[in-house]
Amino acid sequence: MLQAIDLTKSYGAQTALQPLNLEVKPGEIFCLLGANGAGKTTTINLFLNFIEPTGGRALINGLDVVANPLETKKHIAYIPEQVSLYRNLTGFENLDYFATLANGAAVDRGLLLGYLREVDLPAGAEERRVSTYSKGMRQKIVIAIAMAKQAKALLLDEPTSGLDPKASNEFSQLIRKLAGQGTAILMATHDLFRAKEDGSRVGIMRQGTLKQVLNTDEFGHADLERIYLEHMHD
Amino acid sequence: MILHIAKKEMLEMRQDGRFQIAAAIVMTLLCVSLGIGWQQYVSINRQHEQARAETRDQWLTQGKKNPHSAAHYGVYAFKPKSPLSLVDRGADNYTGVAVWLEAHKQNEFKYKPARDANTLARFGDLTASSVLQLLIPLLVILMSFSAFAGEREQGTLRLVLSMGVPRPTLAMGKALGIAGGLGMLLVPAAIVGSAALVLASDTGSFVANLPRLGWMTLSYLLYFVAFIGISLTVSALAKSARLALVCLLGFWIFNGLAAPRIFSDLSRTVYRTPSSFAFSQRMDADLKKGFDENGLKKKLLAQYKVATIEELPINYAGISLKAGEDHGNEIYDKQYGELWDTFEAQNRLQQQGGLVAPLMAIRSVSMGLSGTDFAQFRDFSVAAEKYRRLFIDVLNADITRAPKTETAHMGDDKLWASVPAFEYSSPDVGIVLSQQTWSLGLLALWALLASLAAGWAATQRLRAE
Amino acid sequence: MIATIAKQEWRLLKADRTLIAVVLLMATLVGYSLYNGSSWVAFQRQTLAAAEAEQGERMLKLKGILVAIEDGRMEPKGFQDPRSAGAIGGTSAAPYLAMPPAPLATLAIGQSDLYPYYFKLNLRSKQAILANDEIENPTNLLAGRFDLAFVLVYLFPLLVLALGYNMISAEREQGTLLLALSQPITMSQLVTGKVLLRGGLLLGLVIGFTLIGALVTGVDLSLPTVWMRLALWIGMMTLYTGFWFGLAILVNGYGTSSATNALSLAGCWLGLVLVLPSVANLIATGMYPVPSRVEMVQAMRTAGKEAQTKGSVLLSRYMEDHPELMPGGEKPQADFASLSYAVQMEVDKKVQPILDHFEEQVDRQQSFVDGFRYLSPAILAQSAINDLAGTSLGRYKHFSRQVDSFFGAWQSYFLPKVFSKVKLSSKDVAGFPVYGYQEETDGEILGRVGVVLAGMLVLSGLVLVVAYGRLKRVSVAA
Repeated sequence: MLQAIDLTKSYGAQTALQPLNLEVKPGEIFCLLGANGAGKTTTINLFLNFIEPTGGRALINGLDVVANPLETKKHIAYIPEQVSLYRNLTGFENLDYFATLANGAAVDRGLLLGYLREVDLPAGAEERRVSTYSKGMRQKIVIAIAMAKQAKALLLDEPTSGLDPKASNEFSQLIRKLAGQGTAILMATHDLFRAKEDGSRVGIMRQGTLKQVLNTDEFGHADLERIYLEHMHD
Repeated sequence: MILHIAKKEMLEMRQDGRFQIAAAIVMTLLCVSLGIGWQQYVSINRQHEQARAETRDQWLTQGKKNPHSAAHYGVYAFKPKSPLSLVDRGADNYTGVAVWLEAHKQNEFKYKPARDANTLARFGDLTASSVLQLLIPLLVILMSFSAFAGEREQGTLRLVLSMGVPRPTLAMGKALGIAGGLGMLLVPAAIVGSAALVLASDTGSFVANLPRLGWMTLSYLLYFVAFIGISLTVSALAKSARLALVCLLGFWIFNGLAAPRIFSDLSRTVYRTPSSFAFSQRMDADLKKGFDENGLKKKLLAQYKVATIEELPINYAGISLKAGEDHGNEIYDKQYGELWDTFEAQNRLQQQGGLVAPLMAIRSVSMGLSGTDFAQFRDFSVAAEKYRRLFIDVLNADITRAPKTETAHMGDDKLWASVPAFEYSSPDVGIVLSQQTWSLGLLALWALLASLAAGWAATQRLRAE
Repeated sequence: MIATIAKQEWRLLKADRTLIAVVLLMATLVGYSLYNGSSWVAFQRQTLAAAEAEQGERMLKLKGILVAIEDGRMEPKGFQDPRSAGAIGGTSAAPYLAMPPAPLATLAIGQSDLYPYYFKLNLRSKQAILANDEIENPTNLLAGRFDLAFVLVYLFPLLVLALGYNMISAEREQGTLLLALSQPITMSQLVTGKVLLRGGLLLGLVIGFTLIGALVTGVDLSLPTVWMRLALWIGMMTLYTGFWFGLAILVNGYGTSSATNALSLAGCWLGLVLVLPSVANLIATGMYPVPSRVEMVQAMRTAGKEAQTKGSVLLSRYMEDHPELMPGGEKPQADFASLSYAVQMEVDKKVQPILDHFEEQVDRQQSFVDGFRYLSPAILAQSAINDLAGTSLGRYKHFSRQVDSFFGAWQSYFLPKVFSKVKLSSKDVAGFPVYGYQEETDGEILGRVGVVLAGMLVLSGLVLVVAYGRLKRVSVAA
């Protein structure tokens, strides 16, 4: 579903991403771990065609993202680290707008309300202005947008930063539900606990290189921290 | 501590590309406008000097003619230009350059330079005063809008305050930094300006103009201080740097563009002036009434104890001419006096606009001290008119005294020379200052209140977050 | 897609109360400025009506006197015989030549407060007529007027920039840009949706309020010329709006913060609206300096003095040239009136080359400036509005030429009669030359304004092309 083939990005003499080879299949939750500047956000931006690769290709559903910028965006949903919406509009209005953009035409109101209930947004909250929402609630709206898009792949950048344990748990259940429905999920995160809990595979990145990829059922929580720190040591 | 902060502010400013570009542009414009102003002053002054000499010469070499003919030939008076007009041209383009002084009529000044200019001239002239009044405040805004709000957004404000720097100290440091940055630009400009002034005037008039220059410098300093205060206040109170900038730009637009026009309109509504047509109709009607000729004749006959006009030892023609002139002059004094009083009332109202827009105050002071405002134009008009009455009187007196044996009395070079040349000197700086008390007071008030507001906003209202 | 974005923009503007602020501000500015414009037009109309009435009265009185003299009921007395050509042509029948305000004059006061809109003719020098001015405080002339042209040329772009400066930067700073662009839309589509809504709103408001204001202030919509002018005005406003939005898009395309955008755009506005015109003015006056009026005055005095001494010689020469005017082959009588007119004509002749040189330099300056216009849309807009409102220098010159030629006709009718001492009768009154103002043709207006609009089209087109080109390379992430 999501494929990186020798995907590279350099800024002049500086290489932000060494040739990356990665595949995320439908239903998989792949967690990219690494320090700030390791290349996690660069990878996600490349998949979204926010930046152009200097080498290699990024494919979504078999289509090259550079050659098919609009087509490929139809199939993915993106949740940035700073989840911001239009503050003066209500949760519903925000959902309606982005869903319409995603869909190319207006989406049925009933359907949209359904998605809001699926993400467990408290009833009636969608009529309040987003400026009153917590980060968790904003995130739920954005996940609802992803659902309305019926995206086949989901790209997440530090989704659990700033969430309290309960919200974090609710989020976890949502993405597992989505994965269960066949969505391929690529998540950049610092949250080792969540990565072990929810991810099917983890990849450790350092200075633009994907150092190691592990299946999560091959190790325990403590192991993950040890392996991670080993890579960070040099 | 304050100096330490100020130094850092100035260093930051020097590194800021936006400031560098803006400062360079403003400085260039300022120097160019001073240069142009100087060149124009020198050339126009030369023309007027030459014309003055010529018109006096034409008067003296009229040859033999009837004194009343000479009165109709008259002389021309040319509007003087003060050296400080190279800084502020004021309303000079909108007042005529020359007036014809002749018998029976008080003429108006003709040939407004604006009429001979191209259509762009009304977009605004590039003078040093427009750069100082409009562009420097914009530069101040650029330098100060993010003084507090920007630091808050960057996160550095929190850091500075956690160092234990008292807020008033911080505020003073920033204000001083901005003033210092501004000073770096304005001091060279002031030197250029003063050099231009020295080149433009001879030693005598330069010394005479020094008080005006001093007061002008003070006024502009107050104006800039006011703007620094306003900008810092808004920066401290605003929620974000962007909001601070938008508010300050809005104020700048109101102050610089809208206020002069709005107050001009207001003054015109409150103090109405007649149309030129109505004015001249009224004047003609009053003039046509004429003076009481019979009364005059009776008075003369009684005075000289004769029975008929022909028996008078003096020429009645001269007396009658003088009576006609006096009658006309009374009417002119009344009509023009009212009109010009109305103009001055309008200008005073506009000065009061300085309460909400400091530009109205500085504009008035600057024009006044440059000698290019209406009040000084009026002063010259009145002096020229006095001279006109003087030489007409001399000529009429000559006609009156002429021996009655002469069939056609002619004036000669001696008569023409007996009329002194027209001398005029600008009003004393004290007089100008007395006309500008409102504006000067408002400038001082603005500077004071803005500084206090900045201090208050920085101490009471400054949020670290 | 663009429609969705536009709808969203509408919601956003409504929600943060920008919409109400913009509507109120626009209404106030347009209303106040049109009020100013219409007051000035009313003042002019009043003055012209008073002048016409005065002239009518005077003519009636003149006819009365002439008839009375012819019937023998009155003796011709006074300094000048009331029947003499000099008295009639110079005073009693002296007409007012008026240029009435054009139908859309409320839109722009333009140059009409600096240049005369009527003249009172006499038989003397043209100079005496030409320098006639309306009464105005010079300080007010300096400040300029708060008319609709001022609002549209100076303030309207600020509204455009206020609505457009943070089009993209705000979304980036808010974080919603990432979300929006992860949908299948392009940056260009996003920007276009925003600009169409915001631009459409502003344009709609300004056009709507102006049309309402025009109706309220009594603009005569039944004239076809008004429709043509309004259509051209709408075209100009659209292009002007397009230019400033284009500039906003361009600046947003550099990915800088909202505050930096605001500064850059403020700088652009300052440069295009204030600095460029002043600099162009400086260059124009530097390259084509206008000769000194003071020198002209002195030249006229010298010419007058010379002519005076040659007085009777001039008169004889004139009579030799026009023997048909000699009453019955007599020798010319050097009376005061004839002498002074002859001298006046000689002075005019001597002074004409100086005046012509003057005009030439001013015209050269103006042509240079006319070329420079195309660098700034503000200058073009001002130029177009002045032409459409009929308060441009061009229209004044058009009027001035008519005054010149009528003055010539007036002189040709009366002066020969002055020299041959003809006495006019009440029947002659109907034969006096009569003046009627000829308005500029629609074709002339269309021509002048059309060129300006073409220039604005090029400028706006250029900015938009460059801006959209730049959009393709905007950085999305903050």
